[in-house]
Amino acid sequence: MNKVMYLEFERCIGCRACQAACRECGGHDAKERNYVEYVNFFENRQTYPMMCMQCKDPACAKVCPANAIQITEEGVVLSAMEDKCIGCRNCTFGCPFGIPKFDFEENKMYKCDMCYDRTKHDISPMCASVCPSDAIRFIDHDEMMDLRRRRTQMNLIEGKKPSENDKWEYVPEFFGVYSD
Amino acid sequence: MSQLEKSFYSKASMYSFVVVTVLFFLMWVGTGQFSHMDWMLFGYMVSSFIFFIGITVRLTSWLMRPATNEVIKRSIRNMKTKKRQKRNWRAITKTLIDNIILQKFIFKRGLYRGVQHWLIAWGCIGSLAITFGLTFGWMHFKLIDATTYQMVVFGIPTLEMAPDGFLAQMFFEGLNITASMLLIGLAMAITRRIKNHDLQVTQRAEFDLFPLYILLAVTLTGLFLTVSYKLLGGWMHPQLALIHQITVVVFLIYFPFGKLFHLPIRPMAMSVPMNYQETPEVDTKTCLGCDELYSNDEQIADVKAMLGAQAFDLTNEDGDWLAEYCPACRRKLRVMSQLNLPKKTNSKPTPIETNNGIHMPGFGRKRSEEFYQSAEAKEEF
Repeated sequence: MNKVMYLEFERCIGCRACQAACRECGGHDAKERNYVEYVNFFENRQTYPMMCMQCKDPACAKVCPANAIQITEEGVVLSAMEDKCIGCRNCTFGCPFGIPKFDFEENKMYKCDMCYDRTKHDISPMCASVCPSDAIRFIDHDEMMDLRRRRTQMNLIEGKKPSENDKWEYVPEFFGVYSD
Repeated sequence: MSQLEKSFYSKASMYSFVVVTVLFFLMWVGTGQFSHMDWMLFGYMVSSFIFFIGITVRLTSWLMRPATNEVIKRSIRNMKTKKRQKRNWRAITKTLIDNIILQKFIFKRGLYRGVQHWLIAWGCIGSLAITFGLTFGWMHFKLIDATTYQMVVFGIPTLEMAPDGFLAQMFFEGLNITASMLLIGLAMAITRRIKNHDLQVTQRAEFDLFPLYILLAVTLTGLFLTVSYKLLGGWMHPQLALIHQITVVVFLIYFPFGKLFHLPIRPMAMSVPMNYQETPEVDTKTCLGCDELYSNDEQIADVKAMLGAQAFDLTNEDGDWLAEYCPACRRKLRVMSQLNLPKKTNSKPTPIETNNGIHMPGFGRKRSEEFYQSAEAKEEF
């Protein structure tokens, strides 16, 4: 897997196509695993998409008493294995980003797996393939680095100048799994 | 305990030693000081010992994981608390009936899957119980007189029955019944694995398919033994028995190290109603950010302890653990920090701040007198 997920929250227009696409992904059982939420509904209608960061050292797996959350060799953090998951919901509380979802009916946890069946063949995940405003992109690592640099320049043009202490905050975060 | 532990190479070896000693002692009792060992079952016996050692080693290392350890510690503490006895027993009974005996949650994932899993699970547990009972000599059957058969458990004579009665038939055909259950369940499971493309994405041959095939081999060779002596007049029986024994030995040795290990760890599901959420979907703890109910105190304390034990410092600037916020608030915190708009986490909604330092706010409004005066002054020049 050579590509990475690249999110630009400001680009989100709140159409929720990514969620509809997520429901269609094989093995997702018609339930979406990503989020589209309002930044602050009292202020404006700006939304943001949210997916799993696919941590290298995932807190969800570390708080799982049944050792049910597995990581593939590409680095994708999978949903809890159905045979092991005891349905304690620790992962939903351990995750610092609030990603894992829990199904009380079927007593199991499910989470964004970056559409593993697609991304392992370098096909864009469902959400990225339908996003009309490029808020979610599945791109080459080099392209992502390029975008990050351009964004830093954009921030400077806009007039907000990073200082020594916070200059890294002007570089948008990327996530996903990549190998150089 | 820790002193005793130091006498051994590791925790796992200590517990394995205890388990082997206990098994050996029970065998000694059950077989009347080894007077009626069934040497036909020797291969089964050796592999059963390996099975128990494997289970012990795996369970020990599993219990040493920080997360598991935390859950078990709290479970033991709750079991000892007098006040919680009622809740404990309710949790244990409920988990035993719903999750283990009836496996309701799998039926909710689909009737097909439920039936398939129930048949395999109880076929396996039944077969294992009979196998261990016979190989360790814990029970055997004795002929008292020409018309009475008796079951002897640990050297203690119990149930008497007529050799052609219903009860006796059930005992003799026990393994055939469990094998038939397994055969149906396995056929369903293998069909599902072949037909369902979603499953094939993450399935691994050695992890998901091998246990099914080894179980199928055990079942088929076992059932064929019955076919051989009932229908074929004992055709190739010794050879078939040996083949069956080989499959069972492979199965028993594999059991603790593969997918089937989920069987001994499943009872931990009772810790959920016992320690955490008593009734499903009813929360008692409120989120620090939005005041909504999202969890319960015990669980958050456990999660924090687990994260702390593994050097995860997931706290914000105010010193609050992220686990103390509901998932929705945590998502928002991440977005705000990524957009370079850190927000006071506990604050109520505030009026919109439109002054960004570049654009002047309020174009439609009249400005202060000073502004117009200076403009007029410029015009005069």
